[in-house]
Amino acid sequence: MSLSSLVPLIGVSDVVIGLSLGSRLFLIAVGLSLIFGVLGVLNFAHGGFYMLGAYVTLAVVTNVVDNFWVAAVVGALAVGVVGAAIEFSAIRPLYERVDADLDQLIVTFGFVLIIHETVRFIWGSGSYSVEPPAVFDYSVALGGSSFGAYRLVVIGLAVAVLVTLWLFITRTYFGSLVRGTSSDREMASMLGVDVPRLYTIVFFLGSMLAGLGGALSSPLQSTSPALGDQVIIDAFIVVVIGGLGSISGAFVGAMLIGMMQSLGPQFISAGSIAIPFLAMVIVLLFRPEGLFGGIGE
Amino acid sequence: METSDTNAGNNRNQTGSAEVNPESGSVVGRRRFLQTAGAGAAVAVAGCSGGGGDDGPVRLGATYILSGFASLYGEAAERGIEMATTEINDDGGIDGRDVEVITRDTEASADTAIQQMRSLVEEDNVHGLFGLDSSGVAQAVAPQAAQLQMPFMITHAATSFVTSPEGEHEDSVGNDYVFRDSNNITQNVYGAARVASELDATEWATIGPDYAFGYETWDYFQDFCTGLGVDAEFTAEQFPPLATGDYTPYISSILDAEPDAVITPLWGADLTTFIGQAEEAGWFDQIDNTLFSVGMGTDLASDGNPLPEGEYSSTRYDPFVPDSEANNTFRDAYHEEHGTLPTYNAEGAYRAVYLYKKAIESAGGTDPDALRDAFSGMEHSGPVGDYRFSETNQATVSSIWGTVSYDEKWESNVLDPVNRYEVTPDELAEALGDSDLPTGV
Repeated sequence: MSLSSLVPLIGVSDVVIGLSLGSRLFLIAVGLSLIFGVLGVLNFAHGGFYMLGAYVTLAVVTNVVDNFWVAAVVGALAVGVVGAAIEFSAIRPLYERVDADLDQLIVTFGFVLIIHETVRFIWGSGSYSVEPPAVFDYSVALGGSSFGAYRLVVIGLAVAVLVTLWLFITRTYFGSLVRGTSSDREMASMLGVDVPRLYTIVFFLGSMLAGLGGALSSPLQSTSPALGDQVIIDAFIVVVIGGLGSISGAFVGAMLIGMMQSLGPQFISAGSIAIPFLAMVIVLLFRPEGLFGGIGE
Repeated sequence: METSDTNAGNNRNQTGSAEVNPESGSVVGRRRFLQTAGAGAAVAVAGCSGGGGDDGPVRLGATYILSGFASLYGEAAERGIEMATTEINDDGGIDGRDVEVITRDTEASADTAIQQMRSLVEEDNVHGLFGLDSSGVAQAVAPQAAQLQMPFMITHAATSFVTSPEGEHEDSVGNDYVFRDSNNITQNVYGAARVASELDATEWATIGPDYAFGYETWDYFQDFCTGLGVDAEFTAEQFPPLATGDYTPYISSILDAEPDAVITPLWGADLTTFIGQAEEAGWFDQIDNTLFSVGMGTDLASDGNPLPEGEYSSTRYDPFVPDSEANNTFRDAYHEEHGTLPTYNAEGAYRAVYLYKKAIESAGGTDPDALRDAFSGMEHSGPVGDYRFSETNQATVSSIWGTVSYDEKWESNVLDPVNRYEVTPDELAEALGDSDLPTGV
């Protein structure tokens, strides 16, 4: 047996791949975290939104206009609209209930199935691939192995989303309303904040980010109806590790999980997908509030 | 027989009432009901030769993956079934009876497959079963066929343990009712080791799905290489879960180990995804040889990411070899109808219907035990060539490996040149050397 099989080699490409996996996770987890932080809704359908974003992008790019960026924006916005419609019609009526948490959980889980089956009905259960935009459709060779240049774009966009979102929440008037409502909904309402409208907008924003995640990830993975099921578990782990409601926590958590997913196979040949679960258990045991906490952190 | 039918009828009624009962109307409730009620109905139904007696159409039940990452396998099988039933019915049927095939989706899940086969036997009163695409599913289904006392002709799932008699190895589940008309992992991987012996590659790795099939392929490959005296070291292995959307971390890990060659039993959409991402990572520039142990079954049926030319692939059936009338007719008819070359899954399913025809004609009816006896040791010929069923009910088909090349005339990847490794059960056992793995032949 050669030495190289005994000592895992961590190359530049492993790090880039890990960061790109983390970026994808961040885009879905940050929306999940935002919605929970402000509305208190644990949105199970978030994985479905992510998947839908990938499918809408696929549909636009193959049927309407052969431009990935246009398709990705359409995908993100379409998912945002779907999310807002779901919040408005099915989740809003539940806020005042005694068992609101449980009812919301069940309703959003119902939408997991609805989205899944609708997608299966329209696109079938097979898997599709989306080409990365032509400008970035080449491989970068670094340190012996290579990776698609598009991965760097995804990492860059995730950082851009982090910064924009952070500025939006901390520096804008609407951001202050979001923060205020998140810490005391009744007080905000009494001070004249249109809370239901704000909730729908935040849900739109969170869903749109999931859709954007799905859209931007579509060239990196195969698009199939199972896409959302896989990613929602990881997103929950990210949110638990980062701290529910925290934007920077979601970023750090996502990057940690992304690196674990990338480097895990270097150490064990099967079952590396369990490593993030272990990390979550450790965080829950020693720092149950997560690494970060609260909107705007 | 009268009593049996009445019992089966009662059981169906109970199923009906369970469905309207709100408390057991859920999927879980119905599943559990089917599982428990199944045992009773099985005894009632399996005793007689099916509800329709010997006059109505011959009904066969088929279970394939029709949804999810490997749906293209089930779709190819359906095409083969459609061709066989049409041909047989246009030609006077089976002893004058039409043949019908009811196809069900296993969803690549053992639980679903078992429910479907029980439902086919108990509710649709089929006379025989065939199908299966997944080794993991086959492993779970094989004992059920014996319990239901219903012959099961496996046409694709390759685990050698279902044609290895119970007791031969701790995982062996072979029994009198389970047969296979396509090649198994042992036969398939024997050919891979022969390919390996001719390559200038010493460090080998694998990337395979995280279930029986992935691990068995790698285990057999290592033991055959050792048994055949191939100069090989086994330096890296990765077993990502089924339906992984992003193989990049696994690919990267294999590339970091810098093997000379890799054998991969990835299949279905997983294989298509893998090839795209492997190309992006520079896999085919860095690794001298990649052996796709089930590559052609995916390649011919899939739209995207074909197998790269010059790499090695196996198939369980080749559309051009043997150059026989049966094969040429089947291939041309299939190509004309569907615009692609037939996959081994289409051929395996096609042949299964003909195998039932031959068994029913020789048994003089559809009694399950008589069919089982008819299949036992049967000699048969189809597009794949001539073969017989071994003592363990495994078809003695050859191992087919070749170089992937694009054929302009067929506008498709083909294996050219292609090698058929004809090997007897004894030779297989000898080639496995000291291995404790069964040949399953």
